[in-house]
Amino acid sequence: MTMSSTLPSTQISTKQRGKAHVLLGMLWRDKFAFFATVFLILAVLCALFGPMLLREAAVAQNLRARNLAPFTLERGWLFLLGADALGRPLLARIVVAAQNTLMIAAGAVVCSGVVGALLGLVAGYSSERLSNVIMRLADVIMSFPSLLLAVIVLYMLAPSVGNIVIVLAITRIPVYLRTTRAEVLEIRQRMFVQAAKVMGASSLRIVFRHILPMVVPTLVTIATLDFAFVMLAESSLSFLGIGIQPPEVTWGLMVAQGKQYLTNAWWLAFWPGLAIILTTLSLNLLSNWMRVALDPAQRWRLEIGGRKNG
Amino acid sequence: MKGKRLLLGLMMTASAAASAWAQEAKDITVVLDEEVDLVEPCMATRSNIGRIILQNVSETLTELDVRDKKGLMPRLAESWEEANPGTWRFHLRKDAKFSDGSAFDAGDVKHSIERAMSDKISCESPRYFGDTKLETKVVDDNTIDITATPAQPILPLLMTLVTIVPAETPIEFTREPIGTGPYKLTEWKAGQSITLTRRDDYWGTAPEVTKATYVFRADPSVRAAMVAAGEADIAPLISELDANDAEMDFSYPNSETFYMRLDHSIPPLSDKRVRQALNMALDRDAFIGTLLPKGAIKATAIVPPTTLGWNPDVKVAPYDPEGAKKLLAEAKADGVPVETPITIVGRTNNFPNVVEVLEAAQQMFEEVGFKTKLQMYEVAEFEKQYSKPYPENRGPLLVAAQHDNARGDPVFSMYFKYDSNGRQSGIANPDVDKMIAEATAATGEARAADWKKLIAYLHDDVVADVLLFHMVGYARVNPRIDFTPTIATNSQLQLSEIRFK
Amino acid sequence: MGKKMMRRIVSSFFSLVALVVMVFFLSRLTGDPAALFLPIDATQEMLDKFRELHGLNDPLVQQFGRYVWDVLQLDFGDSIRKARPAIDVVLESFTWTLQLALITIALVTALAITIGSVAAFRPGGLFDRFVSLVSLIGASAPDFWIAIVGIVVFSITLGWVPTSGTGTVWHWILPVAVLFIRPFGLILQVVRGSMLTAFGSAYVKTARAKGVGNRSIIFVHTLRNAMLPVITVIGDQAAAMLNGAVVVETIFGFPGVGKLMIDSILQRDFNVILAAIMVTALAIFVMNLLIDIAYTLLDPRLRT
Repeated sequence: MTMSSTLPSTQISTKQRGKAHVLLGMLWRDKFAFFATVFLILAVLCALFGPMLLREAAVAQNLRARNLAPFTLERGWLFLLGADALGRPLLARIVVAAQNTLMIAAGAVVCSGVVGALLGLVAGYSSERLSNVIMRLADVIMSFPSLLLAVIVLYMLAPSVGNIVIVLAITRIPVYLRTTRAEVLEIRQRMFVQAAKVMGASSLRIVFRHILPMVVPTLVTIATLDFAFVMLAESSLSFLGIGIQPPEVTWGLMVAQGKQYLTNAWWLAFWPGLAIILTTLSLNLLSNWMRVALDPAQRWRLEIGGRKNG
Repeated sequence: MKGKRLLLGLMMTASAAASAWAQEAKDITVVLDEEVDLVEPCMATRSNIGRIILQNVSETLTELDVRDKKGLMPRLAESWEEANPGTWRFHLRKDAKFSDGSAFDAGDVKHSIERAMSDKISCESPRYFGDTKLETKVVDDNTIDITATPAQPILPLLMTLVTIVPAETPIEFTREPIGTGPYKLTEWKAGQSITLTRRDDYWGTAPEVTKATYVFRADPSVRAAMVAAGEADIAPLISELDANDAEMDFSYPNSETFYMRLDHSIPPLSDKRVRQALNMALDRDAFIGTLLPKGAIKATAIVPPTTLGWNPDVKVAPYDPEGAKKLLAEAKADGVPVETPITIVGRTNNFPNVVEVLEAAQQMFEEVGFKTKLQMYEVAEFEKQYSKPYPENRGPLLVAAQHDNARGDPVFSMYFKYDSNGRQSGIANPDVDKMIAEATAATGEARAADWKKLIAYLHDDVVADVLLFHMVGYARVNPRIDFTPTIATNSQLQLSEIRFK
Repeated sequence: MGKKMMRRIVSSFFSLVALVVMVFFLSRLTGDPAALFLPIDATQEMLDKFRELHGLNDPLVQQFGRYVWDVLQLDFGDSIRKARPAIDVVLESFTWTLQLALITIALVTALAITIGSVAAFRPGGLFDRFVSLVSLIGASAPDFWIAIVGIVVFSITLGWVPTSGTGTVWHWILPVAVLFIRPFGLILQVVRGSMLTAFGSAYVKTARAKGVGNRSIIFVHTLRNAMLPVITVIGDQAAAMLNGAVVVETIFGFPGVGKLMIDSILQRDFNVILAAIMVTALAIFVMNLLIDIAYTLLDPRLRT
């Protein structure tokens, strides 16, 4: 998967290459999607290896470098983005924090997305009675204050990272559930689903083969933006005493801690906030690109666009 | 001609409207950090309520002057003396009137004390009296005897904490406080603002401020911004981080003392050498002027230096990491489990950068060989760790807390924090209990000497806790106003002290 | 239709009851309001007295029975902290929240649908790219950034609007703007995505093939088809706003229900928590009902 092999592939007839090559070629032609991918790969690498390599540097305090402004190089490249209130290099902290941040955000978004989508499919396709029960359950979760849920979890279970994921996932379920159901209600009326029914396809097959693929794009759109929401919401749970505690750190926690310095040392909250924005943006751009790239009916858009550009 | 007149009329209307928008010259706006839930006079010792009504709406018999360090001053009482042992006689002023028009007399004082101590209402005042029972006897309209059992040598000082309400006030929380003060509450828009207006029939000198509007903003930057934008005149609490304008920003000792409470019943904190090592591991000077404001003072007692019996001879433990390591090694050799991880418990939002301060302390502890973990809690969970009954199966804990005592006497701190039965006490030492009891009962010079002895004993011999700093607060004041905050600003904000330039 | 509606209302009522029961018991597990209301050095005697006064010493079931009995007589109890009826406290702040939510959601809906569908008309085009990028950045930026930078720029530097507070129409501009940004980004993306899917679907193609060249007809067809998920997401965002906008309320000193809820939870002011949940839940249930009605209006096939 090196870049050198994808570069010339644009000139070669796509037929001779595998599907992966075609996709990579298309990715290279869409610069937004390309940089999104690069950023995400970088983030994942940070999450995997960051704590191993930079943990020491990320927790080393130095009050003399307190709130050091960004873009000063005399203290080394780790201080490129400046230092926090205890003189710890922000760059190192952002890299190290990637692990906890991505783990919690991905955990919460995937859990809520999967559970929400499954319940939504059931609610949209099954009997009205069952559907009604599920929808009222969603109403209850929506009206249950998430902070109260967090406080209750704190009192009943010991503080741990897993509990953050549980609290965040539960509060986000209704969004996916209701959206899935709304889509299913519409799609199940369409011609091709009715046709499949007539031809005797089982409910399970209809739901997973015909309906789910139509629902996924909307869910992914919501999920990518939920990433940002979850990363920021997570810091408010640390405040209660659940989960991540200093000197462990996440981007959300860095943003929250940097808040009070916003007017005199903006970089404390800015860089981790930027990391959150870029991650969300990348996920969204990539998912938009994938929706087009994986849909044979729409792929022409990318190919045309590519030719124009290059 | 007609057109001209019309234009003139328009201009006049416009200018009238403009002046309605601007602040009246002698009206001020104060921006506070939290909305008050109550404006109940008997809760005025709670700082957020006291800042609005204490001595503005509701007055007390006596008043502690810290601005000119004059000590205990008369307010609604003109003078007082100890009539018999345990009984104090207060002579009340004759010219004071409540804002509802009724005259102030001894019956009002009697009712106010009974109301504050009543079982039917959860006032704050009883906390300051502990097990002391109060009895009142009206001698005549302007004289009242107050008897405390057991005898209470500082009863006149305690009277700075009891606000006086009319005898007709029902024994339940009121939303319309009536007082003898220079202002009356004229408007309360829930969630938005509270307005006090100057009274014309106040018994004392009329203050300059005619009307004060209190608004509430939870975010410290916004409070600072409001004064900068001219929307507010005083923000008594802003963050040090936002205090960047010497013209407008004033620091003041806010009477809070930051310390770490140690639980002596659990090893390794049960060993004195370990406690000494904790104290020696901290480079306190490194905090001041960096994480904490320059004005913060290293603490040797849980009460600030303005308190009676504060002991100047007690010295802060020197920063000595090598010495700390040595003490730990000695303790370890004697079988003390010094490697047991110690949890540092903090309260989120205790003060602006509490997390950073504790992280720095944590690193200093680790450098001399302690194993520590930091755990921040919201207030309810923190309270469970800080106050008795302590949780079962707790490990060794350092509870980082702030204690507020601007009342001038250590009696408001010592029992709670150091007596064997004190709710936040980490020690159970019969000698300390005895010393607290003696000092509490003592008067005059002896009282100061007793407190001094206790403070030295706790710090040097018991090594009761890790005392850190007497903290500093920041206020932002609009340049049109002449007001300097003091140590009392944390608990009250007397509008009569505000002048215009 | 009427019968279905009745069933819906009955089942909503039961979920409200379930919610209240759950919150009543669970919240009481989480701590003691006495320790939080009284000063930290209160004596044991004061604590006991306080609990007695507020009936916190009785067995939970008895407390619950008393609460239900009172609620049936429309007495929602007193706020411990504020010493006044909980329902008054909640309704006061809910009025503010409701206004803020309605204004914001109306603006978001109008702008997100218009701009999103225009962007979907030429996916990958300059307009689409620009709108997506800006709205995504807005939607994923921490909201207090936007709020504080907004105050610094528009109130302090330019002096156009007041920093915070309530009173004039000018006071609403910053809070609404800050609250607007996130749902706008999200709904815009969903509109755009749904429109893309709908453009690709068979009948729009048929319409195109038939030579219904008129862009507006295609547009209306597609939009109607794409609206179901969009309405759902709008509903979810509105529900979130009805629960209060904590950051906006905290920073702009806006007396809404979000901060009230947080304060009440942190102070364990149970009666206010319960009253607030009942009011917001009712609003959310009504809104979800309206959404379901909107489904059937938009798509007659869903009428069963």
